Amino acid sequence: MTEEVQTRPLPPTGAPAAAAAGPTPMDRVDRLLEGLWHFLTSMRVAMLLMLAIAALGVLGTLIIQAPPGILGDVEAKASWLDEIRPKYGNWTGFLDTLQLFQIFNSLLFRVLVAALTISLIACSIHRIPGIWRTTTKPRVDVGPAFFGHAPQHEAIVVRHTPAETQAIVENVLRGRRYRTLSSDDGAIHIYADRNRWAPWAGLIAHMSVVVILLGAIAGTLWGYRDSQFTIAEGATLPVAGEPGLTIKLIDFTDKYDTKTGAPIDYASQVVLYKDGQQVDSHTIRVNDPLHYGDTTFYQAFFGAAAMMTVKDAAGNTLVSEGVPLAWRTTADNRPIGSFSIPGSDYVGWVIGTLGNGDTTVKPGQMKVELYKAADGTPVASQVMDQGVATTLGDYTVTFERESQFTGLNIARDPGVMLVWLGSFLLFGGFVIRFTIHHKRVWGRIVPRPSGGAVLGMATLATRDVSQATDFENLVTDIRAALQAPAQS
Amino acid sequence: MEKLSGYAFIAAMFSTGLATIFYVAYAVSGLRAARMQTAGVPMTTTVTGFTSGPRTAAIGRYATMLGWLAVFALLASLVFRTIATGHGPFANMYEFSAAFAFGILLAYMWFERRYHQRILALIALPVAFAMMFYATTIPADIEPLVPALQNNLLLTVHVAVAIVAYGSFAIAFAASVLYLAQLFIAWVGNRPEPGGWGLPRLDVLDDIGYRAVIVGFPFLTLTIILGAIWANTAWGTYWSWDPKETASLVTWFIYGSYLHARVMRGWRGKRAAMLLVLGFAATLFTYFGNLFFGGLHSYSGLG
Ligand code: HEM
Repeated sequence: MTEEVQTRPLPPTGAPAAAAAGPTPMDRVDRLLEGLWHFLTSMRVAMLLMLAIAALGVLGTLIIQAPPGILGDVEAKASWLDEIRPKYGNWTGFLDTLQLFQIFNSLLFRVLVAALTISLIACSIHRIPGIWRTTTKPRVDVGPAFFGHAPQHEAIVVRHTPAETQAIVENVLRGRRYRTLSSDDGAIHIYADRNRWAPWAGLIAHMSVVVILLGAIAGTLWGYRDSQFTIAEGATLPVAGEPGLTIKLIDFTDKYDTKTGAPIDYASQVVLYKDGQQVDSHTIRVNDPLHYGDTTFYQAFFGAAAMMTVKDAAGNTLVSEGVPLAWRTTADNRPIGSFSIPGSDYVGWVIGTLGNGDTTVKPGQMKVELYKAADGTPVASQVMDQGVATTLGDYTVTFERESQFTGLNIARDPGVMLVWLGSFLLFGGFVIRFTIHHKRVWGRIVPRPSGGAVLGMATLATRDVSQATDFENLVTDIRAALQAPAQS
Repeated sequence: MEKLSGYAFIAAMFSTGLATIFYVAYAVSGLRAARMQTAGVPMTTTVTGFTSGPRTAAIGRYATMLGWLAVFALLASLVFRTIATGHGPFANMYEFSAAFAFGILLAYMWFERRYHQRILALIALPVAFAMMFYATTIPADIEPLVPALQNNLLLTVHVAVAIVAYGSFAIAFAASVLYLAQLFIAWVGNRPEPGGWGLPRLDVLDDIGYRAVIVGFPFLTLTIILGAIWANTAWGTYWSWDPKETASLVTWFIYGSYLHARVMRGWRGKRAAMLLVLGFAATLFTYFGNLFFGGLHSYSGLG
């Protein structure tokens, strides 16, 4: 591929210059399009785009980035901005206006990535015909001047006839696994190459960046993700993205190193049901997710839960489940979780303790608040001890015991295979591009009036600064073969 | 085993320091030889530009031996530690710094064999030494792996590949510094032609920089891909713009720009060399990033 854009191109075949005529509107459109194409296929533009994206990336590592989803929600955004305000002071609003807290979703970033992608596609299309020609229709006759100007060239005077010389040269080339082509118009033209498919590797590597981006886009468009799925021990919950699928958490365990207290294991033992039938069971760990169909369940976080039972006045059990205390109250940062009472208009909130020294909700207690679901009117509120049935509004509520919940990340990403395919092609493409080179040599044999011939050899590959090049070795071999006593 | 690893590490650091001294002596001796040659005393100048007398060559050989000694000592240290911990050197900054230093030393020795440019050591070895010194200042305790890091094979390959990339980039950095230094000296001295003083020729340095990058770039690509695969199995997202991920992508783009710059008119030579310096700055930023930005990688060290 190097050869395609080298500043030393093969001598032109003589494309006719466009006839000069007065500019018409059509010409202007043409020129505009041509200019645009030139812009998109310019390596300078591509390079500057890359550096600009890199610069944004640096900002993205230095400036705190908002967690995904937060900036779309006015309230969450305001409270998040308040949280970081101590760090950025009066700049906070300004940085927010510039979208610097969400650089990788910002307009500028999207425009740059889109421009680079279009440029990549344009570039690749632009390069295809040239690469196709070098692979399949190489020029055998490159004209005599080439043999004086090519980066590496040699002229050898030989005593053999042109035909004998050709046979010897081609023989050496084939011995070095070159394929040879030739033509004869008084002078004999030889073209030989190796690894002629190699230039496609660079092109494939470039295109694979587009494949990866397509995978990422497919993931956002058609994927499903719930990174906040919480489920308490013993509970069974529907999986939103998969109709009919429910998941039950049997048990969650967290283990710690006895010496340092560092975590060593988080494990959620779960069972999956499809339409009530058990279809899978697995212990999900970090690095060991559960795959079911296209959906994958990952261990993400965990925390305390409260086992609650709620009975109505008649003594019927309405609720008996673990409530994950997965959230924090804004006022005093207490763990909090909610449950609903089936067949009623109420939701309950369970608020946990802050630990030793907390006098409002002591360790071993839970505070339960009841609200009207429709308008959030508080109905009743009570701090209760573990195992003690407490009257709350029309219900009897019991905080049975503490347990744990697990936080799962549930994801279905139809783009991920494209991402891996693109990654594979990207890596493979660059490795091939840098290790296997399309080697090309041209030869030209002209008979001398006094007998014998002159053999010119040339290549586009540049001289190496520290060792003999393939071309130099090749010429050495050819010289040796030409000097060997003729076998008869 | 852990003790053995510690001793080997000290040996490696000592050899690196001593080797650096010998390389400096070699450079000074070469400089003197170059001056004598200018004064008419016959000396040998290699095709690649370095001038040396007989003494210079002997010092150079010792320097090289010490360099290899450092490589093997550090390799031994890493192997012993791997045996002691049961996993590759990825669990904390100590392990990764030692591995980074190994990558630089190995890449340097490899390029020395190929190009015989010992002057590169003046930049590369101090960088490796600084990495090892840094490693001595941070806790080296062996602790059980946190759950996210319990993906032994993938993460071991991930760091091994990263080390090759980083080592290569350090060599590209050394070459570009020597390149730019010659331009700078020529500019300050108002001389029309850079070069001389027994320093490697500019085209040789340019070539070394390129060779280093075409090793480093695919390896960096693979590092990022393996990181994405790991993130996908551990967290369920292959990319989350975690600062460390972002920084490595920035590095990737800078070296990608370099590979373009090198074939573009107006960007070859000086500007391409500047991109290599920038690229290595980004490499170090990626590496030390843990220390000042949070993120998924922050628990794998001090952060
Ligand atoms: C994500 C963006 C890009 C990356 C990472 C990238 C990377 C690379 C790399 C590593 C090379 C050297 C290997 C090779 O020749 O194949 C290269 C070469 C090349 N790139 Fe890109 N590139 C990108 C975008 C582009 C774009 C948008 C263009 C079009 C203007 C382009 C045009 C070229 C050309 C023509 C070469 C061949 C240069 C030569 O070796 O003679 N690249 N690119």
